[in-house]
Amino acid sequence: MTNLSPLSVPYRAAQRSVSIVFALAFIAFSGGTALGGFVGALGGAALLGVVVLTIGGYELAYYRRFEYELTPDTLDIRSGVFSRRNREIPYRRIQNVDISRNVAQRLFGLAAVNLETAGGGETEGSLRFVTYEEARRIQKEVARLKRGDTEADASEPDQELLFELNPRELAIVGALSFDMRLPGLVFVFGSSIFPVVTSFVDVPIPTSGVVAATLGLVGFVLLVTAVSWATGFVSAVVNYYGFRLTRVGDELQYERGLLQRYNGSIPIDKLQTLTVEDNPLKRRFGYATLLVETAGYAPGAESSNGSGAAGRGSEAAIPLARRDRVYSLVEELEGVSKPTFERPPSRIRRRYAVRYSLALGAVTLALYGANTLLPQQIPWYLPLVLVPVAAVAGVYQWRHRGHALADDTFVTRNGFWKREIRFVPYYRVQTVIETRTIFQRRWRVSTVTADTAGSLSLVGGDAKAVDIEATAASDLRETLNDRLRASLVARREERRRARQAALGVGATDDPTLDDDRPTDSPTESADTDDSFIWGDAVVGPDEKDESSVEENSESDEEGLRDADPDSHSESDADR
Amino acid sequence: MNRLHPRIRLLWVARAVVFALVAGGVTGAGVVFAPISIPPLAPVAVAVTLLVVGVPYALLRYRAWGYEVRDDSLYLQRGVLTKVNTVVPFVRVQHVDSTRGPLERLVGLASTIVYTAGSRGADVAIPGLTPDGAEDLQDRLKRLAIRAEGDDAV
Repeated sequence: MTNLSPLSVPYRAAQRSVSIVFALAFIAFSGGTALGGFVGALGGAALLGVVVLTIGGYELAYYRRFEYELTPDTLDIRSGVFSRRNREIPYRRIQNVDISRNVAQRLFGLAAVNLETAGGGETEGSLRFVTYEEARRIQKEVARLKRGDTEADASEPDQELLFELNPRELAIVGALSFDMRLPGLVFVFGSSIFPVVTSFVDVPIPTSGVVAATLGLVGFVLLVTAVSWATGFVSAVVNYYGFRLTRVGDELQYERGLLQRYNGSIPIDKLQTLTVEDNPLKRRFGYATLLVETAGYAPGAESSNGSGAAGRGSEAAIPLARRDRVYSLVEELEGVSKPTFERPPSRIRRRYAVRYSLALGAVTLALYGANTLLPQQIPWYLPLVLVPVAAVAGVYQWRHRGHALADDTFVTRNGFWKREIRFVPYYRVQTVIETRTIFQRRWRVSTVTADTAGSLSLVGGDAKAVDIEATAASDLRETLNDRLRASLVARREERRRARQAALGVGATDDPTLDDDRPTDSPTESADTDDSFIWGDAVVGPDEKDESSVEENSESDEEGLRDADPDSHSESDADR
Repeated sequence: MNRLHPRIRLLWVARAVVFALVAGGVTGAGVVFAPISIPPLAPVAVAVTLLVVGVPYALLRYRAWGYEVRDDSLYLQRGVLTKVNTVVPFVRVQHVDSTRGPLERLVGLASTIVYTAGSRGADVAIPGLTPDGAEDLQDRLKRLAIRAEGDDAV
């Protein structure tokens, strides 16, 4: 059993106090002086002291009651001041191990460790805070124990630098980043104040006034744009400074950040999908973004880290790089680089053109309606000028669509303004869904979606082959299902052989060693074995439970034995 | 391809009727209490429209529904306006529920819900089974899923 770093007590206490103490100090002194000078101030100060002591005491108790341990097959965390919680996380279930350090934490040599499993919406294991060395040790140990190496001094797996963001790319990332918070704020504020302002300007304004107002408005918009661009630039540079992606054995490790350093690992076999994203500008200059998806993160969970890629799946995402570098990384990870896409049937170009034209027609109609209702004339026919553009847009939308069946991967491509190329390994497909809306039926086309367990998909980004020939769609549906099965069988076979090889080596050495080795899948005879346990599909035979995190909140003997009288109370006030 | 139990139509039609009546009632309340004047026939119009649309929709929905337990996967097809065909490989099945809601119990039916780790999770529900049928299906799916011997589920 290990404790957190002792320094975490003052750090946590300070972190917690700052806001409370400021608020209280303000209330105490302003209210105190109003009440009756010296006495009031004294009372306020006393209250402040009590609060600080309480927080300090609580954090000390938290520190003393927080223990974690790396056992041979689980990471155990026992925590809780009032209500106790014992949590055991099997190593094989752990998806990501993330370390983050902000400036203050780096000063104290502290680090926060987050462990993610596929289950649940929150971070399953969180250590606040341990020393940085300890954090790195946990990261390494988890990786090692997951591999099933039993010797503590197992040789370091080979490292390979996959990707490093160079300064030029960092500058471009910054230049392309806009912080949308300020414009959003301005918009909300402006739209609420606009009616008020306009109600004052009923009187006819001289032309010079209009010109001045317009100039002012333009200046204001420019200023807002400049400020949001500058903040976007700074935050992107701060976030992605020194971004490196390394392959360590069978894990991906990333590092990034200028002020707050992030450092994390993702097992490669937990990758769900890869997405290459670009827009016309990036395409023109040959750049692209790579998003890496694991099942570990809940959507939006990273936004608390203040990362630029908030809510965009995993942190290992590459913000921006030359296209060929992105594709070579994809090839490295998924074994596929430039698939040949099959576009939707060419008649679909007309469908998109018609769709855009209808949208234009709707806008025109709405404007016409407004024109008849409003006293002054508005050029309601203006959107019709764009009809030729609709045809062109239809062609472009068609051109940037497609799907491909590579050897091990299903690839889809969608979108013109934000083009996403999604790589889904067949063995990651969960369900296959084929849909046909009434409009699609008229054009005899369907959409085939390959659902995965990733988190990006929750915000609406499944791999979709949109508008493919209806007959081809049902074939694709079945093909995906077949390939899923085939690739699972192949993977199983591969692992079985790897294990046999390991056994062969191990048997000459020390046969007992292999018995505690966590195996990846059930025994070879399982194919025909009816006694096969339900749920083994999900966990190895050496784990007792199929849930990914075992947990028991308790006020049991452990709590009772402890001297702490608080442990009897069932209060949920912990944290 | 298996059809749902015909009695599910009763449930769906009843649901459409109740919805139409409630919507009509709300419109009626609007006629009485709302400050703006709503034509007094509006509630009837709303209810009738919803009935005319809802009841055939429920029937069409029944006609569109089908499912099949295949060797390696569960196959579903459904949808009136948007046709949806879903393939759920047994290797991906996490767990199988069979449920009976209060209304379902009233007409003596049950549903089976198949969960995968996919982001659409409980999307795969088969309504309109007899209670025995639902349990049988659950059992069958369970055994098939076990036999399929999944890999890592996520």
